[in-house]
Amino acid sequence: MLNRLGTFLTRTAGNKDTAERFGMADFLAYGYLLLGVLIVLVPVLWTFFSSIKPERAVDSFDTRLLPIAQVQTEIEGIGTKPEWIHEAGGGGARKVFKAGPTRKETDVAPIDAPGDVFKVPRTQLRPSEEIRVATENYLDPLLKRHGQENFTFGIYLFNSIFVTVMATLITLIINAMAAFALSKYRFRGRLTFTILIVATLLIPSSIILVSLFFVVWSFGIFGSLWGVIIPAAATPTGVFLLRQYMLTIPDELLEAARMDAASEWRIFWRIVMPLSLPALSVLAILSVIWRWNDFLWPLIVLISDPEKHTIQLGLTQYAGEFDTDFHYILAMTVVSLIPITLVFVWLQRFITTGIATTGLK
Amino acid sequence: MSLAAILMMMLGVLWIGGGSVWLLTRRRYKLVQAPSFLMDLVGFPVEYAQSIWGRGGVPYALLLPNMLIFGLFTFVPMILNFYVSFTGGTSILLFNRPWVGLQQYADIFSCETIFEPRTCSNAGFSFWTGMFNTLWFVVIQVPVLCVVALVTALVVNKNIRGRGFWRAMFFYPVMLSPVVIANIWNWVLHRKGVLNEMIGGTRDQLSTMAGMTGFDIVVTVLLAVVLMVVSERALRSSDTPSLAWTAIFGALLALLFGWANPLSLIGLGGSFWLGGALALGLVLIVSSESRLARIAIIAAGILSAALLISIQFDAVFDFGRYRPVNWLVQPNTGWPFFWLVFVFTWSHMGFYMLILLAGLQAIPSDLYEAARMDATRPARAFWRITLPLIMPTLTVVLVLALIRSFQIFDEVYLLTGGGPGRETFMIVQNIYEVAFTNNNKDYGEGAAGSVLMAVVIAVFTFFQLWITRRQSEL
Repeated sequence: MLNRLGTFLTRTAGNKDTAERFGMADFLAYGYLLLGVLIVLVPVLWTFFSSIKPERAVDSFDTRLLPIAQVQTEIEGIGTKPEWIHEAGGGGARKVFKAGPTRKETDVAPIDAPGDVFKVPRTQLRPSEEIRVATENYLDPLLKRHGQENFTFGIYLFNSIFVTVMATLITLIINAMAAFALSKYRFRGRLTFTILIVATLLIPSSIILVSLFFVVWSFGIFGSLWGVIIPAAATPTGVFLLRQYMLTIPDELLEAARMDAASEWRIFWRIVMPLSLPALSVLAILSVIWRWNDFLWPLIVLISDPEKHTIQLGLTQYAGEFDTDFHYILAMTVVSLIPITLVFVWLQRFITTGIATTGLK
Repeated sequence: MSLAAILMMMLGVLWIGGGSVWLLTRRRYKLVQAPSFLMDLVGFPVEYAQSIWGRGGVPYALLLPNMLIFGLFTFVPMILNFYVSFTGGTSILLFNRPWVGLQQYADIFSCETIFEPRTCSNAGFSFWTGMFNTLWFVVIQVPVLCVVALVTALVVNKNIRGRGFWRAMFFYPVMLSPVVIANIWNWVLHRKGVLNEMIGGTRDQLSTMAGMTGFDIVVTVLLAVVLMVVSERALRSSDTPSLAWTAIFGALLALLFGWANPLSLIGLGGSFWLGGALALGLVLIVSSESRLARIAIIAAGILSAALLISIQFDAVFDFGRYRPVNWLVQPNTGWPFFWLVFVFTWSHMGFYMLILLAGLQAIPSDLYEAARMDATRPARAFWRITLPLIMPTLTVVLVLALIRSFQIFDEVYLLTGGGPGRETFMIVQNIYEVAFTNNNKDYGEGAAGSVLMAVVIAVFTFFQLWITRRQSEL
């Protein structure tokens, strides 16, 4: 019986026949996965938990997990004061507030009798704490209150979404057109074009930064969102991904449409595009990730005009400008992390299989 | 309004206006077909090309927008880079820039000795500092990235519960933007951050425990038992020792070496690394399945017993007060560089893991079944089946990782800003700062730096391809 229980507990995935005993290698594997959780997920979760802590807890680097804040009480005629608990030797505890500066012997007064000031040793005071989610970390920058007017989140969000959506649409259309030409037509120079596209795959974007700046400047799109959208709209990865997929579409379908006197553009739009939807969606997801997270090129093109900043740039400027306001920085980090996390959780299987099959970036 | 903008306007008017007229005169659209009309309008150039040149002209029209963007924004800049690197001044008008010939390159190369950036001119100093830092980074980063990605892919490819979840978890950081990654790690690695807090807490607890009486004896006995169990498990199977247990044994041995510090007898440091090297040798001997494996393990066991007796554990575990390390700021410690490698691996490993995973899943399972029939050990199956068959994928991963880590900018710029001093100053940051952030924007020098960087990347890539080609032929 015990033996069977042991077998049951140490069995790996699979049915009775295929399952193997839980061996040393599995032990190591699960240990590795545990380490992975610790290294991958814990920092992200820690950032999230820190972002809902009140300013004072963040500034004092409170490493407790829960958002614990000192109770603030409104006292008549004096204003809002942090609440402390005074533990006298006798065992009784009173809620007090500090009536003067903190010294070895501090002046305090009970909450219910504000006039009644007396001296207690500092060591007998401990903060009266409650668990409170600090929504102001999020709401202050988002609603532009309490001196957070410079962080125009709405504009950043709009710019980021505009760049992402426009660039993805353009990328999808022109890459699909090129892929259609390369996969379904025989024409002179097809090999040349294919080789040219392979060549662009080998040119890292950061070695053409300076001269790309000149080109973009002379087109008059420097400093505008189009200067970020257009230069990277044609992706060799996208062309190859779509070309490989379109090669599997049977030519007979196109011939049948030609019999019905459909123009080539309509064949492309009405037959090829709907049929290559799986590949298109993979490319769309990739493009969204690239554009949403893009940093260096927007930094060069858009940095001088705060009205044109994307979320990533806005967040950088924010962190640079208010280096001490960690509670706002963390909250805004979490805000910019949420959309991409949601997309990921939603389309996780799509993304991971899509990248595994293309294997390129 | 620039010339290009006027041209774009004219193109737009021609496209929309001319296209509408052309389409409406040739085809009939009902009102409900408005979307269909719009779609025809988008493809108007293609339709027009078909009407003029027939079907033969269509592929060229289809390729045109893509190739135009490739040409204008990739190939032209590629050529232009050379031209800009031969010009000087700060003008952004291309024809306004004076031709200076090789002056920019001469500036970069004006060093007494290139391998010491301090002896260079200002331009040369930042360039070569960035270049050597980047080379150093690439040499460390690429193997680390590939090994970690391969190990993770192997683990995720195993028959474990919740494979999809684990795969997604390791891939998740790839989705995050560099700014978010930098903020997260800045927060964790802050001097008063959670990492220092955790290390400090653990050390304090251990110190308190070490202060208790009898600690030395208890730990010695415990470790002796553990060592005996591990070495027994390693030696248990009939013919060849178990690799996994040997690895654990090796790790323990390295730890013992670090604690006992035998090298201090002859006045040297680095005992831990000596122990690590010995442990690695042990693992290699066992994995090569030589006859010496058993003898080696037994010898290491005797050695570890001798070390164990010589260690005073209450002294080893008394750490004293912990002074928090400023991980990203403290100069001359190597920590900023270490965390750079760590964060880069953290944020990019998932991508390479997925590619390797696809490669692993393409290996036919009959091979492993046949190996199991022959009672092949898992380690041998890895060296003889998995590694040779994954080699083509691994080569792709190597090249991609190389090109990617050569271009590192975002993470380092946001985490350390190149500091402390210039310890993590990378080549792309040099190009960016020279060309775009200085007061007198020196585009020529930035372009010259880019050309040199392109040359280095090309040399590296071909070198790597050449080496891996020879390996995969063997």
